[in-house]
Amino acid sequence: MLQYVNMKIDGGDFRATKGSSVLDVAIEYGICIPHLCHVPNLSEIGACRLCIVEHVVNGRSKVTTSCTLLVKEGMVIRSNTEKIKKLRRNIAELLVAQAPNSRAIQDIAVRCGVKEVRYPFRNENCVLCGRCVRVCSELFGAKAIGFVGRGKDRRVEPPFGVLSDLCKHCGTCIDLCPMTFNPCEGYMKSGEEHLCGKCESQMLLADNLPESCVWCELGEGFQCSRY
Amino acid sequence: MSPELLDSILEGRRSQPHQLIEVLHDVQEHYGYISEDAMKTISNDLGVPLIEIYGVASFYKAFSLKPRGKNVITMCTGTACHVRGAKPLLNQATSQLGVQPGETTQDGLFTIEKVNCLGACAFGPIVTENGDYHHDMSPGKLRKLIKSLHPTRTEETSHD
Repeated sequence: MLQYVNMKIDGGDFRATKGSSVLDVAIEYGICIPHLCHVPNLSEIGACRLCIVEHVVNGRSKVTTSCTLLVKEGMVIRSNTEKIKKLRRNIAELLVAQAPNSRAIQDIAVRCGVKEVRYPFRNENCVLCGRCVRVCSELFGAKAIGFVGRGKDRRVEPPFGVLSDLCKHCGTCIDLCPMTFNPCEGYMKSGEEHLCGKCESQMLLADNLPESCVWCELGEGFQCSRY
Repeated sequence: MSPELLDSILEGRRSQPHQLIEVLHDVQEHYGYISEDAMKTISNDLGVPLIEIYGVASFYKAFSLKPRGKNVITMCTGTACHVRGAKPLLNQATSQLGVQPGETTQDGLFTIEKVNCLGACAFGPIVTENGDYHHDMSPGKLRKLIKSLHPTRTEETSHD
């Protein structure tokens, strides 16, 4: 039998299934917490940091990722305070500077309210969200790719850099990758990267209802969980 | 590399995934590096996916994926050693041996490694040579150390 706990998100009372994460509950009840590395049915690694929320314990709030935070009885969560919005905007800004050639990440930046990018563009083709790695090792058990190296040299690679027989060419890693869609205007060459921001009209409704999912189109590029 | 040695390293540890780091340490110690074949054998015998071994081996500075020289000179460039002058030491070693950190000399005698801390900050700057710690190093001391390890070559290139 399912066990339930009662918790508060942004002042509202919710009944959540024991064992689920705060992000799962928020998605289920239509609260918009931007997320990128979260994929249903895969383990959470909290890599993208976009889903940060404030967790209030004894009157003091702690900022943590909601995907790795399990629900508890009497838990108080604030998902849309000024502090969180500011932090989230900065994270999205860093993501867009890392990989501007992704429609998913450009869209997330718009959703998180990024107006300008103050960091130098790196134009990498990976943001290390780990979706491909997790789907390969958890859903298919192939374990053909994984994280290699550390720090600034961390990257996704098959063993020894050569694709082995372990890979069955199912293509799920590519399906889940947020980097496969180029921005609508096409690929930005190095030197001409910029914040796209063309979809800001999507935010007209979202700005007025900041904490609820308004079925915006900004999650299409990375399979936002409402799809 | 001999399969017997790898066999003896793996003896008694087979099917125990948690022994991975220990095995890798032993392989590193005995062979000087961790080869592709060794990783494949370890993967089979311990029951750890190959990518996991590759990830661990590439993550830690203690493991090398390329063959290393006979003498490994490890320079500490951590905060304390940096403040006490690790940079001139590194310059000394790279110019004396003519290779960059992480590389091995052509004759396969020396490898220079750069690490972020060796855990002996009070004695900095620290240089280790094949695991032996040398404290309070100076470029002059380092020059003599490298010379003592390989006298003929360094006499030709040394200018003072």
